[in-house]
Amino acid sequence: MKLLTHNMLTSKCMKGVSVGYPLSIKALDIRTVEVEFNPEFVAKMIPKIDWAVLCSAAESLGKTELPKEVIDNYENDQDFLKKVHHILLEVDVIDGELVCPETGRKFPINNGIPNMLLNEDEIYL
Amino acid sequence: MNQKCAKKMERKLNKLKHVVFKETGIVCSLNPTNNIVICNAGLVNGLSEETILEHFSVYGTLNNIVLVPGKSCSFVSYVELDMACKAYEALNGQLPIAQDNKPVYLLYAERLPQHSIDSRKVWDELPGGLVILDDFITENEEKLLLSLCCFDDSLVSQMKNRQVRHFGYEFRYDNNNVDKDKPLDEKIPKECDFLWKRLHENTDWKQFVPDQLTVNHYSLGQGIPHHVDTHSAFEDPIMSLSLNSAVVIAFKRDDRDICVKLPPRSLCIMSGETRYDWTHGIIPRKSDVVLSNTGSYTLLPRGIRVSFTFRKIRQGECNCQYTRNCDSYIRKNNSELQIAASEIERLHVIDVYENIALHFNETRNKPWPNVLEFVNSFDVGSVMLDVGCGNGKYLGKNKHVFDVGCDTSCALLDVCKKNGFETFLTNCLQLPFKDAVADGVISIAVIHHLASEERRLQAIEEMIRILKVDGRALIYVWAKDQHKNNEKTSYIKQDRKNRKSDTDVVVADENSEAPVSKGMTLPVHVNRTQFKHKDVLVPWRLKNQQNTVEDTFLRFYHVFEENELSDLCSKLENVEIERCYYDQGNWCVVLRKTLIKNS
Repeated sequence: MKLLTHNMLTSKCMKGVSVGYPLSIKALDIRTVEVEFNPEFVAKMIPKIDWAVLCSAAESLGKTELPKEVIDNYENDQDFLKKVHHILLEVDVIDGELVCPETGRKFPINNGIPNMLLNEDEIYL
Repeated sequence: MNQKCAKKMERKLNKLKHVVFKETGIVCSLNPTNNIVICNAGLVNGLSEETILEHFSVYGTLNNIVLVPGKSCSFVSYVELDMACKAYEALNGQLPIAQDNKPVYLLYAERLPQHSIDSRKVWDELPGGLVILDDFITENEEKLLLSLCCFDDSLVSQMKNRQVRHFGYEFRYDNNNVDKDKPLDEKIPKECDFLWKRLHENTDWKQFVPDQLTVNHYSLGQGIPHHVDTHSAFEDPIMSLSLNSAVVIAFKRDDRDICVKLPPRSLCIMSGETRYDWTHGIIPRKSDVVLSNTGSYTLLPRGIRVSFTFRKIRQGECNCQYTRNCDSYIRKNNSELQIAASEIERLHVIDVYENIALHFNETRNKPWPNVLEFVNSFDVGSVMLDVGCGNGKYLGKNKHVFDVGCDTSCALLDVCKKNGFETFLTNCLQLPFKDAVADGVISIAVIHHLASEERRLQAIEEMIRILKVDGRALIYVWAKDQHKNNEKTSYIKQDRKNRKSDTDVVVADENSEAPVSKGMTLPVHVNRTQFKHKDVLVPWRLKNQQNTVEDTFLRFYHVFEENELSDLCSKLENVEIERCYYDQGNWCVVLRKTLIKNS
């Protein structure tokens, strides 16, 4: 699971959960995969993501290279875009779990794939 | 009348004589009989029994009024011939109750039409379970009850047709139910207690004590639309006390229409089928036409009427046998349907894909051109979700976007992972994405695996929820019709080829069925043929490396009729259908998310 995916995931479809965001990450196995750098893509992605959630997710994985706030004029700062590129797309959580902030429900991550399936008693029929 | 006028009138009546005969088959003339036909006014002009009665009963007792459905003439019948003659002389060409207040033209009729609208209206019987107790209270008690309820504007809710006030529990007209856990401070007034003592002493209702009271105040000309009191809200029976004025209430079931007069101070007890299965309502008008015991019609003017309706709140669900109006039954039935649907999907979709994943993966490599074109239409930095991505054959095709796939099959997502695609496991009915994060969604050959229309709609709703406004979704579903435009789809064309290689496969029986869920069966489709049913099980023959069939799995499909997919999508308010097309045996739509219309 990439942190860009994590930035959009929520447990709000569960019965009794209202926001379900952000899910906290308990990682057991983190790997780095190389992804081709596309500065235009990263620059376009930055305004779409929840920056604070990305920063704290990265921190929880021991990655502290991102500033608390998006820097000015980031579109033209290759170094900054590269850092963001790395955090968004190259960090891959292979094993671990995601935790719902409201209920504590755990969603396992196996082989890099979060299991977001809900049981019948967890959904509104 | 001068001669010219008389001539004109004669011509007019002669013409109308033919019209009436043509419309009703009844011969009329100027020769007096007990029956008068109003030639130029009837139901289609908005004429009512009460208007006829008001004007015609002045000349004597009427024993029938007949309004013919869909016709512009009507009939009245007097007890005596001379009454009819008097009415004729006074009203012909004079009484302004035809359309636009024009005068009516009259003739004498040899007989009345047999079938009238009122042949359905019944006066002399009551629906099962209805009891009317006349003079249940005295005039003094009536005064006391009326004084309990002042209708000053601060206390009552003004309804379209009447004023209401609630005691014990508030009845909510938005959901036609009560908030059972929010009793009102104001209980049923103690002054009503004598009613129950009297009821218990004099009737078979020995237990009934209500905890909810609705007081309705009907001004002149007001009524209440036909309704059944919500089953899950109240117990059986419901009791209503009429105060101050009489009214005629109608009970309807199927094509039956029973009129019942409720005199002032009477108690109307609705129980059994009357409470559960018949609707009741009061027509908004200023007087009622009442058929008396002697078979004659009289006009009963209404005054201000106040009704006290006493009900007992039901704890739990209704368990009655009258299911068609039972909200409890309908809810339960619907949730049982959803449970059955989810069971079918688990056994005949989710488990099957898990079992056939590797074989399925080998057979699903060629992306469809129109889907690829859609995927490639998104700009740099777009976010896309493939709902039901399977082995990920549409992932990674557009290198400029961030695309994520999701599916219920672990085994298929492992295939995606091997190819470096980003995915998560989920059911398409609950997408674990934030609202409005995606620029594009595709869902190719997925929602035809959902086993009820509610669930198929819910899946589309979820896709739209995660889309940004102006984001687009592409949905493909299998079409029932595999012979569109006289051209067989490749699905059908592959028939011969397959049969040759599968000589050892027994051709499935055309009418075979397989059990799916508690006592339910579904037809099994014959592969590579036109669909005969909309909800079917389609066999998947699992083959090994030597291409011999190892096992057969039945996958559930709901195949779509033409327009069915677009009709389903148009149920959503924040969706615009950009394109709808047929592609290789599939129905396809391109949707655009909009702001909710009219807001």
